[in-house]
Amino acid sequence: MGAIGRWLDKRLDLASIRKTLLDRKMPAGLTWWHTLGSATLAVFVVQITTGIVLAMYYSPSPDHAYDSIRFIERTVASGSLLRGIHHWGASAMVVLVVAHMIRVFTMGSYKYPREANWILGVALLCLVMAFGFTGYLLPWDQKAYWATQVGTNIAGTAPVIGGTLVTLLRGGSQLGAATLARFFALHVLLLPILLGGIVMLHLVIVVRQGIAAPPKVLEEDAPGRTDDPQYAQFYDAKYAQSKASGVRFWPDIIAKDIIVATAVILLLVILGRFFGAGLDAPADPTDAAYVPRPEWYFLPFFQLLKFVPGSMESFVAIGVPTLLVLVLLLLPFFDRRSIRSLVHRPIALTSLGGVTVACALLFGASMSEAPHTGIPQEVGHPLTSTERAGRVLFDQQQCGSCHAIAGRKAPEKNADVPDAPELTDIGLKHTAGWMHSYIEDPTRFHPDSKMPAFGPPTLSHQEIEELAQYLATLRGPHWATAQPEFRDTFPEPVKPKEK
Amino acid sequence: MASTREETVKGHDGAKQVTRRGFLRWISGIGAVVSAAVVGFPAIRAFVSPVLAAPPPDDWVKVADDIALLDVGVPVRVNFVQSTVDAWLESRTLNGVWLFTEDGEKFKAYNGHCTHLGCAYIYDKEHKDFLCPCHHGQFDVATGRVLAGPPPRPLDELEVQVRDSAVFVKYRDFRLGIAEKVEA
Repeated sequence: MGAIGRWLDKRLDLASIRKTLLDRKMPAGLTWWHTLGSATLAVFVVQITTGIVLAMYYSPSPDHAYDSIRFIERTVASGSLLRGIHHWGASAMVVLVVAHMIRVFTMGSYKYPREANWILGVALLCLVMAFGFTGYLLPWDQKAYWATQVGTNIAGTAPVIGGTLVTLLRGGSQLGAATLARFFALHVLLLPILLGGIVMLHLVIVVRQGIAAPPKVLEEDAPGRTDDPQYAQFYDAKYAQSKASGVRFWPDIIAKDIIVATAVILLLVILGRFFGAGLDAPADPTDAAYVPRPEWYFLPFFQLLKFVPGSMESFVAIGVPTLLVLVLLLLPFFDRRSIRSLVHRPIALTSLGGVTVACALLFGASMSEAPHTGIPQEVGHPLTSTERAGRVLFDQQQCGSCHAIAGRKAPEKNADVPDAPELTDIGLKHTAGWMHSYIEDPTRFHPDSKMPAFGPPTLSHQEIEELAQYLATLRGPHWATAQPEFRDTFPEPVKPKEK
Repeated sequence: MASTREETVKGHDGAKQVTRRGFLRWISGIGAVVSAAVVGFPAIRAFVSPVLAAPPPDDWVKVADDIALLDVGVPVRVNFVQSTVDAWLESRTLNGVWLFTEDGEKFKAYNGHCTHLGCAYIYDKEHKDFLCPCHHGQFDVATGRVLAGPPPRPLDELEVQVRDSAVFVKYRDFRLGIAEKVEA
């Protein structure tokens, strides 16, 4: 123990802590599945570690969030790896928490006397999902912005309180600066405190109650129901018996836990190193063509909403998750049969199978509907603020009701609308300067052009320039490699009238 | 971990053999160290990243395209926009220097701020010296020496280079109001 250890032991009685924490006996027959909880804890520690350092280089403001993430990716030593680990760690948390829950469910470990700890576990699941949702917005890229747009709108469909709820989530009526600051505060202040606290409680209870013995041990000669007055006595006897033939927590159980945790962490580092966290184009609220998709663990739910008729949507969007959580919370109270093995619990088996298959099918369906690669070329290269302003003008002036751009709504053909040229690759044919002149007064170029003149006072020169700059970015589907061939011809300058 | 239990036992041949418990402890230790290292290393490396950062790249600013166009014996003020990068913030600042040459070959450049309290000084054509309008500090054009007034030190001279007949300056700001020339 060493001199310092002895010195501390004399004052703090470390030996008794050691006895309760490390030397305690565990039931015989614990499996590798029993390591999932501690693996989740290990990843939580990884998330805290990486998260703290990431927060040092992050700025929760729409002006700078994206740039700060790019700074982490490009400039901070190991920044890209760290962000990769944090990103994959989030997924690992969800996978491990759910797997741990399924283990507890299939072994009936939530039954007497562990109902309270099951409820804490359900709370932890919700918190992990909240972490995922709030963290997803922080990079402030297209993916983040639009997924959060949809996510907060789902909350907005709730009956009666929907409008209030969405304003509360966004910190205002629109998704913007207040939303980002709010999500950041939740993600790095409130949620870690809640999660850390409940994890602590969860662990204290585990230490006090011990890990549930394997189902078989607790089933033999058991009273039929756990609320039977005899059950507590039966349970205590059986559990003590199982512990007597079991092993010590340290090092037998801890070694297993550490092996699994280390494997998970190594996997995270590999994923973080070779796949990273990815970064889309900066968030662009004016880009109506972007197809939002949430993080993969929300996909089954996202897909479910596609199958629901509009009138039912608010019921399903809010009802299904609420119902799911309620069922999980109440599970230990309506299931009081003492039988624990899943094979003898047909309803539990069917429910678990049903939910798993449904999630898998929904997930598969959403993957097969993944947006095809022919996305609008604008997504490839982020627009500057001038070009974005131009696109807003394009919409406002309803240029699109005559002119088509691939990836955007094609005009409905009717007799009133003249045949206007498609603008998909106009940027390859003309310079912004030429387009500026043309938009100002098309009849100077083509005397019988049907296009109205947009010169002042309809649009200011600055607005026309924005529009022209936007149009110059339209370079067709092969924008990255296409070489422009400009065919600008200007009409003869108008000679000043001689008096 | 301290323990009174034996970590190893003597085998039949007298050689030490690791017990099951000892092996599990060993595995746990290795696992814990590996886990801490693979996450801790990048975390610490990112934390100390500012210390590891490479020195800023070449920051010479071009202040004149052609030395032939500069008047000999008359200083000229050149303003230029310099973009500065503060972590993820990129900002542009307007800076100014005074350029002076006596022979059209060797150039002097002074930081455009008066060393007294940082006002922008001007060229006084009448007296052929620099004059700070704030507190009437006066400086010699050729050397930057204080001729009159409160300035505590000469004008801050900057490094100058002539490359292919263009003039480059390494712009720096210095602490003002003190006698020593200390970079700000």
